[in-house]
Amino acid sequence: MRAARNNGLGGGRPGEGAGIANLLFVIPALTLYALFVLWPLAASLYYSLTDWDGIGQPRWVGLANFARAFDDDIHLASYLHVTLYILGTLVFEVSFGLVMAVLLNSDRPGFALLRGLFFSPVVLSMSAAGVLWTFVFDYRTGLVNAMLKGMGLSDWAQPWLSQPATALLCVMLVSGWKFAGFYMILFFAALRRIPRSLYEAATLEGAGPLRQFFSITLPLLKQNILICGLLAVTGGFAGFDLFFTMTNGQPYNTTEVPVTWIVKMGFDSDQLGYGIALTVILTVVVSLISLLYLRFAERSHAVEY
Amino acid sequence: MRSSIRTPRNPPKTLGEWLQFGIGAVIVAGMCFPAFWMTYSSFKTNREIFRAPYALPETWHWENLTKAWEDGGLGGLYLNSIIVTAASVILCAFFATLAAYAFARLEFPFRRVLYRVFLIGLLLPPPAVAIALFTQLRDMGLLNTLWALIFANAAWTLSITLFLMTGYFRTLKREMEEAARLEGADTLRVFWYVVLPLVKPAMITTGILNTINIWNELMFALLFISDDASRTLPAGIVRFSGFHSTNYALVFAALTITTVPIMLFYFISQRHVIRGLTAARAD
Amino acid sequence: MGLRAGLRSLAIGLIAGAAFGAAALAFGQGAGAEPVEIRITHSITGGTQKDALDGIIADFEKANPDIKVKQVVFDDDQYSDTGLITQLKSSTPPDIYFQWAGFPMQRDAKEGFAKDISAEMDAGGWKDSFLPSVWSPSMGMLYEGHPYLVPMTLDITNVIWFNKKTFAENGLKEPATWDDFMAAVKILAAKGETPIVIGNQELWPLGNWASHIASRVVEPAHYDAAFKLQEPFNQPGFEKALTLIDDLRKAGAFNKDIAGLGADPAMSTFFQEAAAMHPIGSWLVPSANEMAEKDFDYGVFNTPLIDPANPTKDSVIGTATGFAVHAKSAYPKEAIAFLKFFTQLDNQVKWAEAGSFSPVKGAMDKAKLDDKTKQMADMLSNAGSLVPPPDTTYPVAVAESYYQAAAYVAGGEKSPKDALVWLDDHVKGMK
Repeated sequence: MRAARNNGLGGGRPGEGAGIANLLFVIPALTLYALFVLWPLAASLYYSLTDWDGIGQPRWVGLANFARAFDDDIHLASYLHVTLYILGTLVFEVSFGLVMAVLLNSDRPGFALLRGLFFSPVVLSMSAAGVLWTFVFDYRTGLVNAMLKGMGLSDWAQPWLSQPATALLCVMLVSGWKFAGFYMILFFAALRRIPRSLYEAATLEGAGPLRQFFSITLPLLKQNILICGLLAVTGGFAGFDLFFTMTNGQPYNTTEVPVTWIVKMGFDSDQLGYGIALTVILTVVVSLISLLYLRFAERSHAVEY
Repeated sequence: MRSSIRTPRNPPKTLGEWLQFGIGAVIVAGMCFPAFWMTYSSFKTNREIFRAPYALPETWHWENLTKAWEDGGLGGLYLNSIIVTAASVILCAFFATLAAYAFARLEFPFRRVLYRVFLIGLLLPPPAVAIALFTQLRDMGLLNTLWALIFANAAWTLSITLFLMTGYFRTLKREMEEAARLEGADTLRVFWYVVLPLVKPAMITTGILNTINIWNELMFALLFISDDASRTLPAGIVRFSGFHSTNYALVFAALTITTVPIMLFYFISQRHVIRGLTAARAD
Repeated sequence: MGLRAGLRSLAIGLIAGAAFGAAALAFGQGAGAEPVEIRITHSITGGTQKDALDGIIADFEKANPDIKVKQVVFDDDQYSDTGLITQLKSSTPPDIYFQWAGFPMQRDAKEGFAKDISAEMDAGGWKDSFLPSVWSPSMGMLYEGHPYLVPMTLDITNVIWFNKKTFAENGLKEPATWDDFMAAVKILAAKGETPIVIGNQELWPLGNWASHIASRVVEPAHYDAAFKLQEPFNQPGFEKALTLIDDLRKAGAFNKDIAGLGADPAMSTFFQEAAAMHPIGSWLVPSANEMAEKDFDYGVFNTPLIDPANPTKDSVIGTATGFAVHAKSAYPKEAIAFLKFFTQLDNQVKWAEAGSFSPVKGAMDKAKLDDKTKQMADMLSNAGSLVPPPDTTYPVAVAESYYQAAAYVAGGEKSPKDALVWLDDHVKGMK
């Protein structure tokens, strides 16, 4: 792997065309990006310093929104919840996906179908998944409790989405159900690139499947695992759809994540200035974590960017 | 891409392979059961669902599907989703590929800075600007139009597409481009006639991934569109299930209708996805 | 086809399409004198109310062939979150829009969205055709003494619906006092029934009831001051209110999934007879007509007497809604004409028969109502006082914080005292 000094750019060579004219290649993307990503970002920064209610005139309040954010116990708790959620996704999505990628890594007929089926929940929309699983977890009429009662375990039937102890776990499980297939495919693609000969040699030396997994597969997949981890982390912080459709922060704000709280503050209670300040904080947090993560990954020579 | 793997046509040989298949099948069956259950439940009456939740329907009520289609205006929702997704994906693919080529191959002022600027998008969660973008679109008069979603989705998938495409470009050998240049082609011609065909696999893969993501996009769809006629599928489904929240048969019917086509699309395009993911990874 | 040729075709196609579109537009507009179209936006999405509204609009258009009325409808949440604001601020605002009395209407008046309709109201005694209680200051229909809203419905925000069969089986009658109520709850809980089902995922179902209970035990002046953040919530009156809720919880009154259940699924649970009582607003009646079994026998009673010394001891919690004319409407005369038509007695009778509470004098008496609606109409007219729910009178963020505190208590997450301490701490940043 080449040294990561070039920002991942190939670098042009002299004589490949005048500089300025080449900018034209970038202008369309830049315009779209500037208009709909950068400009609202700047506007967000401005609004976060006002106490705008979305209707009247914004009034400058300086850093008051940010001060309030650090005093807002639900806001702070939302970061805890999202962190737990991300840890959960690392287990239920990334690890599970990895395990399944290895398990289903075979060319025998039928395996392709299994892989396809395993991936299929990824294609569902979040709202569909949320609606479906809300019903599955329903206290009186849901599938889970019905099955528990059917197996004679009525004591285990509980209001899954109404208890602080189980609600977040349920959302994590559903998230795992939905996205494990995505990570499985990424790992599977990488697995295919590992030459068979490595495994064959290991088998000849008497190494069993588990040993091979830890000594050959894992180290070679290190880069993929790190990238998947990053995707899970940044995706997790932006988590909204599933939380919104399943619990919307309840019970007692124990499944409140930054974005659901932002939507509540910004839209439901007409405190747009405050809501936007919260999004600024979220952006800073996500950026910091991602940068730290990438630095760590780069240092371990696994990724160059 | 090295592919030293032949595809054997014979069933699993060793006990280990059978076990592998068996465990895998059980897990996958468990994963698929909820969706499967939802599908056959949509043929029951609502009362049946409550009475005997996981039995098969006594009679198959196909009219649930037609009712869901009409009540939910699913035809319109589909059309809007198709328009938004297709337009966003094409727009993004086009712009991102152009830019990726430039970043990977060409020299121009601010190249490094601009690339970093685009990478910021990778770290940004879309909710970060949802509210500000909402008011901006409102001021631009685009709110409640499909353009709001098309531009927003295209802009927000630029970063990841650009990242993947640039990575892919760097794995391409330069010989063909250099040969074309030696024959006197200018940059544009090199791009159109030589490079573009070469990056097609990556474009297809990123296109498919973006299609799935934009098709299912919920947040912008909920916030920017309040007009029934312009709503996309995910937002429409959320709304539909909110209304009819207790008529599970109807809600499931709607969910089934909205899920089946995208599933078919995925199964058909599966091969491309895997092939592309293998090739387009940035390494 | 080469790339160049392809691009050219695309360009031609686009230009042709644009030209065609422009021509079509021009043709459409030039086709003779169009009737005036006024747009009305609201959140009545279905049911008997929608049918009645459609009917009244059709009648109006028949009587006024040069005016067309177009409805722009959203569902509740969408309407209040983004649907209304988007339209109000757009360059083509609706001519008429639905709004809640109280805080929202006053904000609209202040920001210049709603038209001051004092003149129209005074002309021809239009104002007097409405029930006098509608214009009382606490109802929030007036801003600085001027009306900005044409009253459309009254809503009872929270009453207690009960399953008549379950009550009869357990020898229970409608409770007159809170003690009677607690006794009934205990009897039901002992029998293994779910006494009360509430779907509190969005906090307002219990919150509205908890506010009503609070208004019955807290002195009005203190109630007002607390919600205006002039006084702390942590005071004896509010503590008593939350303790009553805690007592209910200890008696096993609430369904186990109260915190995560949605409002509509809870209503459905009540219709499926899986619970004895369900506190919710007057809109249960149209829903019952649609969702419950034909022979579902249910009744209603107001929150029973708690404190005989409280000035609002027999209050009904309710609010008014209405239609506002947009200040920038291009057709105010036509808009007013429609609203006058809508509030005519015979149309209001139809409106009442569709399940709404008409704010027009005499409409509820004349209308053929089912006994539940009649019962609630009587409740409204006999009530000693009408208190509005806090989320329409006070800033939403404060009201919702109170609702959250009530939810903590109902779920056993916090004691009444701790919940109030939390509440004061939580709202201090909102001043």
